[in-house]
Amino acid sequence: MQKVSLPIWLFCALASIFWWGLFGFLAKVGADQLSAGQLYVFFVIGMFPLVVVALLRHRWKVETDRLGAGYGVLNGVFSGLGLLAYYAAMEAGKASVVGPVTSLYPMVTVVLALALLQERLNRVQKVGVGLAISSILILSL
Amino acid sequence: MSDWMYFSLIAVVLWGVVGVLQKLGTNRISADSLLIWLMVGYLLLLPWLVWNVDSSQLGTEEIAVGILAGITNGLGAWFLFAALEKGAKASIAVPLTALNPIVTILLALALLTERLTAIQSLGVILAIVAGVLVSYEKNTSSSK
Repeated sequence: MQKVSLPIWLFCALASIFWWGLFGFLAKVGADQLSAGQLYVFFVIGMFPLVVVALLRHRWKVETDRLGAGYGVLNGVFSGLGLLAYYAAMEAGKASVVGPVTSLYPMVTVVLALALLQERLNRVQKVGVGLAISSILILSL
Repeated sequence: MSDWMYFSLIAVVLWGVVGVLQKLGTNRISADSLLIWLMVGYLLLLPWLVWNVDSSQLGTEEIAVGILAGITNGLGAWFLFAALEKGAKASIAVPLTALNPIVTILLALALLTERLTAIQSLGVILAIVAGVLVSYEKNTSSSK
């Protein structure tokens, strides 16, 4: 038998794919039974262990740079509102379609970064934006 | 536009803004600290939701699914950070993890017996490829 060694980072990346993919599935199962608001409340409870680990890693010290913290809090508000919309989409549609479409959000990030942060889109991202828009149009037919 | 597409696009726009805030935030504080402030943002919405949501009729199974969803989402983010800490290039790992909808699709087809039409399959494949391509950044300024 040949021994196959997987680099740790690749194992971690594959684990991330698995957990996030499972999240999409559970979101659909949950949305079929619960309201978006109810799911949001439980989601926050489920996130707590992660926050505790982050706090422990920093020995309960949190950086308090005002602007940095402000971005963080706003980040949470936008993530949270996005999550409510995501659960509503899962309730209304199929997980196999809502999952891929909602994962197009980096498209908006790169376009906003282009407009607000003067970051430039590379060629790969430009093709990606084109494909993303065509996919949304096709799925809207 | 169908309801699911309408809500999906709202999520895409809001999470797209999150990506920008994340870039701005991690320029000033660590990812761990950002996560803690992010939680504060989540909690800000909580009183309004708890007020408007009646959770008296819930069974343990529904509650477990809801909490598990939160945990699995956290683990997904956790393992992506871990991959980056273990030396993964962000230009490889981030687009790679954008493949996660494939797992959702497989589970939904197998366990929820969802079926896609030919046109929907095409749209879904395009969306997955697009998700990988748009998250490709050659040199990420945010990685440490």
